[in-house]
Amino acid sequence: MIIAENLYKSYKNGTVNVLNGISLAVNDGEFVVITGASGSGKSTLMSVLSGLERADSGKIMFGNSEITSMTEKQLTDFRRREVGFVFQQYYLLPHLSVDKNVRMGADLSSNGDYRKIIEEVGLSDKLKSKPYELSGGEQQRVSIARALAKNPHVLFLDEPTGALDEKTGRNVLDYISKLHTEKKFTMIMVTHNLNIADMSDKVINMNSGTIVNYSENASPKSAYAIGW
Amino acid sequence: MVISVKDGFKLIGVAVLTFCAVFVCTFFINFIIDAGSIKDLITEETTAIYNAQMASAKLCSVLAGGILSLIAVIMIFFYIRLYIDNHKCRLGILKAMGYSNIRIASGFLVFGLSVLAGTVIGFGAGFMVMPTVYEGLTIEGLPEIKITFHASLVFFLILLPTAVFSLLSWLYGAYSLRRPVLEMLRDKTEIVKRVKQGKAEKDRTFVKEMFFKNVSVKKAIAFLIAFAGFCVAAMVQMAVSMAELAPTVMAVIIFAIGAVLAFTTLFMAITSLINANVKNISIMKTFGYSIKECFMSVFAVYHIFAFAGFAVGTVYQYVLLSLVIKLFYKDVGVIPEYGFNVGAFFAVLAVFVVLYEAIMALCLLKMRKISIKEIMTEN
Repeated sequence: MIIAENLYKSYKNGTVNVLNGISLAVNDGEFVVITGASGSGKSTLMSVLSGLERADSGKIMFGNSEITSMTEKQLTDFRRREVGFVFQQYYLLPHLSVDKNVRMGADLSSNGDYRKIIEEVGLSDKLKSKPYELSGGEQQRVSIARALAKNPHVLFLDEPTGALDEKTGRNVLDYISKLHTEKKFTMIMVTHNLNIADMSDKVINMNSGTIVNYSENASPKSAYAIGW
Repeated sequence: MVISVKDGFKLIGVAVLTFCAVFVCTFFINFIIDAGSIKDLITEETTAIYNAQMASAKLCSVLAGGILSLIAVIMIFFYIRLYIDNHKCRLGILKAMGYSNIRIASGFLVFGLSVLAGTVIGFGAGFMVMPTVYEGLTIEGLPEIKITFHASLVFFLILLPTAVFSLLSWLYGAYSLRRPVLEMLRDKTEIVKRVKQGKAEKDRTFVKEMFFKNVSVKKAIAFLIAFAGFCVAAMVQMAVSMAELAPTVMAVIIFAIGAVLAFTTLFMAITSLINANVKNISIMKTFGYSIKECFMSVFAVYHIFAFAGFAVGTVYQYVLLSLVIKLFYKDVGVIPEYGFNVGAFFAVLAVFVVLYEAIMALCLLKMRKISIKEIMTEN
């Protein structure tokens, strides 16, 4: 379970407040969507929750570990063990093949079975391909496989369908959703697309660094049933 | 257009190389021309030593000028490739709008400005140290050689190299721009090098794969790092080894050039390597790779090149010094004994190891400072 209490974060020597006292709780295995307009602080919240950035004040508990009091080395180790990332721009290593890009994640958890995940995202015939030889949707699937190959307990996704067209976006969401159901990891997704919220268990709506709305979804929809 | 005049002055490595080449060539060539004026005054007894002096001056100017210019050409090509990789989206837009490769590459003519700066300063510095060099080169028994300014050297050592380098930059720029427009436009942020397909991939861990792939896509950087090792071994070691065989001023000049070249090249190569890997390091850190693992995957492999360059440089300086001694003393009489200077070898190697590892330690610090949020705030 992830518990955040009273998180504050500002930039430019405190002149720009990005997070203003955020508190939230995410249960194990949940799919949480964070929405909000540009500049609402949703990406910063994700960075702080995942240990990519430090909050100015407040507390984040990841199970029994308090990540806000960890040293840089402990945070690196925490990210290595606990979390995976999927970004809008994929950030694959351009000179490495699909196989080696996914292996980047797999080696962190000594996962020798990582090719199974490549198979699960439907890219086993592209093992030797380089990222520039793949379509946007395929690159995003590689990035998902890379994140999942390290067997994370929590998967953070920052606008994973932001650079994709509707059809590809739905396919990618469907892959993520199936893998989530199958592997039971916790998933926290930041997105502009309000329709994706219909797929989640919880929706957090942010504005000016605060949570303005917090709702639970009793009957999550599939990627092909939501609007776009 | 895209390449500004300011960019033309940013090629510090090229400026330093051309400075060194012109600096050495200025006093040696000037000496060769001036020494011609005393040819009629040479007696039979001093002919041998005069010829030896002229031959070694010619050899030094050809070697220094030739090798340094060649390296400067390689470095300018490296800069052009790097510039195109870093600005491929903007250059791609120009191509998409219909500008020809030759037209876009004409902007690279300004890269000659760095050569101009290096040659002008090198020429001036060469003249400034000329009295000391002449004093060191003049051998007892030979008539005094007076310093004369030769205007033709301005053309051959400043104007001609600047024009040639500008032209080469233009042509190589046009050649390097021969890439599909879409490839340049689509891949805005990554430096993608096409790796030969069809080769079976080895079953290496990710860190090992990065270790090897880094070199295969960044050969120019590997070359520059090897060259830095070569400079230290060849020039600094040679300067120390020749202390008893040549005028001190020559040893000091060779030592200084070697040290400056090695440092500039190494600094440039390492900076380029870090810049080219910021995103890779950033994403590795994001996923939880330690600084040590990031370092291993990006920098560790270059140790091999640095020390291979050092080994080649050691052999080169020994062979060259042996040749020069034979050439210089062949008609003079007794050839002084010259053996491999083991003490100089270990002393220079120790200094090189310490300096190289210090630079690597700075890289580690720089890597620590790479923010893992950089990749998320981009776009």
